Amino acid sequence: MKYLNLLLTAFLIYSCNSDSENLPAVYYETVTNLHAPLEGGQGQDNSGPFTKFDFESGLVTENEWDIAFRGTSIIVNGGSSLNINSEPERNGNAGAYIHNGLFTELESVDNDLFLQDSEEGYAIQTGSGNGWYTYTSAPNYLINPIPGRVLVFRTRDNKYAKVEIISYYFDAPENPDSAINESRYYTFNYVYQSELGNTSFN
Amino acid sequence: MKSILNFLIFFVFTSLSGILHANKSINDSINNELKEILITATKTERKLSSIPVNASIIKKIDIQKTNATKLSDIINEEAGLITISDFGGSEGIQMQGLDSQYTLILIDNQPLIGRSAGTLDLDRISVGNIKQIEIVRGASSSLYGNEALAGVINIITDDAKMGFNGTFSSSYETHNSFDNNIIFDYRNENFSSSVYLNTYSSDGYDLNLNDELNTVNKFNNKTLQLKLEHRLNENLNLKLNSRYFTQSIDNIASNYLSGETYTSEDNINLIVSHKSKKINTDLEMYFTSFYTDEFLNDQEGNQFSESFYDQILLKPEIKSVYSINNNEEIVFGLGMKHELLERTYFDIRAEQNSPFVYFQYDFQIDEKINLILGGRYDNFKEYKSQFSPKFAGIYKIDENKSVKISLGYGFKAPDFRQLYFNFSNSTIGYSVIGYNVYENVINQLIQEGMISSIIVPVEEFINPLKPESSFSLNIGYKHKHNNKINFKSNLFTNITQDLIDTRVVANKTNGQNVFSYYNLNRVITTGLELETNYKYDNYLKFSLGYQLLYAYDLDAINAFKNGEIYARITQNSPTFQLKRSDYFGLFNRSRHMGTFKINYFNSKHKLDSRLRIRYRSKYGLFDTNGNNYLDKYDNFVKGYFITNLSFNKSVNNMMISTGIENLFNYKDPDNITNLSGRLFYLKLLLKINNKL
Repeated sequence: MKYLNLLLTAFLIYSCNSDSENLPAVYYETVTNLHAPLEGGQGQDNSGPFTKFDFESGLVTENEWDIAFRGTSIIVNGGSSLNINSEPERNGNAGAYIHNGLFTELESVDNDLFLQDSEEGYAIQTGSGNGWYTYTSAPNYLINPIPGRVLVFRTRDNKYAKVEIISYYFDAPENPDSAINESRYYTFNYVYQSELGNTSFN
Repeated sequence: MKSILNFLIFFVFTSLSGILHANKSINDSINNELKEILITATKTERKLSSIPVNASIIKKIDIQKTNATKLSDIINEEAGLITISDFGGSEGIQMQGLDSQYTLILIDNQPLIGRSAGTLDLDRISVGNIKQIEIVRGASSSLYGNEALAGVINIITDDAKMGFNGTFSSSYETHNSFDNNIIFDYRNENFSSSVYLNTYSSDGYDLNLNDELNTVNKFNNKTLQLKLEHRLNENLNLKLNSRYFTQSIDNIASNYLSGETYTSEDNINLIVSHKSKKINTDLEMYFTSFYTDEFLNDQEGNQFSESFYDQILLKPEIKSVYSINNNEEIVFGLGMKHELLERTYFDIRAEQNSPFVYFQYDFQIDEKINLILGGRYDNFKEYKSQFSPKFAGIYKIDENKSVKISLGYGFKAPDFRQLYFNFSNSTIGYSVIGYNVYENVINQLIQEGMISSIIVPVEEFINPLKPESSFSLNIGYKHKHNNKINFKSNLFTNITQDLIDTRVVANKTNGQNVFSYYNLNRVITTGLELETNYKYDNYLKFSLGYQLLYAYDLDAINAFKNGEIYARITQNSPTFQLKRSDYFGLFNRSRHMGTFKINYFNSKHKLDSRLRIRYRSKYGLFDTNGNNYLDKYDNFVKGYFITNLSFNKSVNNMMISTGIENLFNYKDPDNITNLSGRLFYLKLLLKINNKL
């Protein structure tokens, strides 16, 4: 797990209602260099395990997971399999949708919008411009996160999180170069609402 | 930059002032314009000065005196035109802000084929025997049908002159480039023939020494052209134009993989012309073929990859020009295009027959007003048939001033690739499927278990793909101030719709996507063209050309207006919302482009010099900040100036030429692959004339 650097000290946003716990109900974290390797490619089918992530702990996990990464694909622990190689078994109720706007200004979740992975496709669509990234073809071959795309998640146990992906390259360089910077290392910010049933991120 | 410009002007003036004012000039291009004839705008011979459409001519003398060896060199010195090289290295024309695939390219009035990846490589056309290049800007499908969406460029080759004539020339340029031309022609009252041979070879160049690839690989090509004409009697004339081109380019993919790209092209046009008092009729049978084959071998000589592209066009056409009276003329034509294409990644041999008919009414109402009304109908089976109307008019305010307006429709039919492609990338694993074969290919992929989900159902492919089409408007004003100064301006707008783009239509089990084509974008390009010529005296002439261009995707404008687009300065900095004013426009378009030329000519010493400077303002090649649009926070290619200088001196039948291209050695290796840096050349030309 050495590739996961967790910055728990980032920012803390206090929740007004939270009186019983010492930890705030809503917290903001930055995850850096979450490694999402992908085997195959180069003419072979994509394969290899997905990297599973748990919002509550902010850690890469083996069993309890909300979302999982492999290459540019992001899947949720909810819905059904797309019959793609090595997808982990889904045992939760996670869902997702994409909100177009400023990350900081998204105050609450719209429950009607959630999709789950299905035979029709992933809740977070793949392909350049469809989901969270654009791919610039020759000569730069870069995966750039689309500014203003906020990924909104329902976790496997019906809590909520919003995610803004910062970079797909190791150590999130300001201006990545696909020939130099290693890809498939996610850096993202997220806000997690730990209170069950609370749709607010404030 | 300004100081360099001043220096250059000073340099040219001082170095040439010694031989100024020595003799009177015979070269007066401002008045010569009245004699310039072009055929492209109306399919009839018309004076350039009175034509109601937006047209211009590049003359032989300008091609010769700038010592151009490539067509792209000439095009780039024409205001508002620029050549863009694609990733295959092909040079295509951007006209009025529209991509190269939307400009029809003709040689001696007949279309060239061979757009294997969309761009028709201009450098296939050798320039040694060009008589003139006619340029018509604005949609012209009313006469030419497919591809004449942005405009038409017609390359007219030289006809034989009376007697027996020969021209030999040879030039050497940096990068070991050799260009050799031989022309023999003969003409008497009833017969003429001309033979033209060109060989061109170059070692190419490499702008980025850190990789194994060359920017331009070593190549050589040959052109052979034969023209025959025989006048059977006063009314009947036979003409044969034929051209053969072959090219071999080194194909180097890495230290371990190398091969060759071979191209050959044929054009044969047989024309029977009949003239009578009122009606002139041309019957033309045109055949052209384009073949290219590309392979890579590994070090042991085993084949690693190969692809080919084999296209044929056969086009019979009959055209009649009927003069009703001195002021009214009707053009009527009909014909048929038969096209065949076989290529790698096609499961079938693509074939298409498209009959067409066109009509044009040319009416000189009085001395001041000329109107042209025309239209053409192209019948297609695979997609929607097209009717292309055109209206143009010119009003002469007085002897020196005129205004003109032309409105037209242009279209570009989906090409065979967009209809029939069946391509799977072997290294990354994605697939591209043509629109018309989508159902078959996707079902096949499903059966092979390669599809995990369908995003766009087969039902959406029932209606045929629509041709890309454009409506264009040109409003021009011309003003001849006096014998020294003239001025031309033109406002243009092209509204293009149903542009064909690719989208993801299915996901593959290997995690990659399947792409297919669909009609999507609406694009507007609008701007202003200016040209002014100033004849200082019999020796010195100046000209200035400029194009202002705004090119936008209309759906992108809406997305910006609705506040759907965001950006970050760097990937780590905060996201913010973009405004309409942050949208820069389409990729690879410069807001400002210009040319500045100084021509010096001394008839006594048979000496001339030409200085040409062209400018292109900043432009964006890619979206660099992830939002898919070109906004002002993206990385741009810097604006630049290119300066070319040529000298020519004639001695008896000989002309010695030398010059420097890209005088200040401007390079941008990461972004501009067709600027190799400073080039020197030396050229020798010999003429033999034997008047009978």
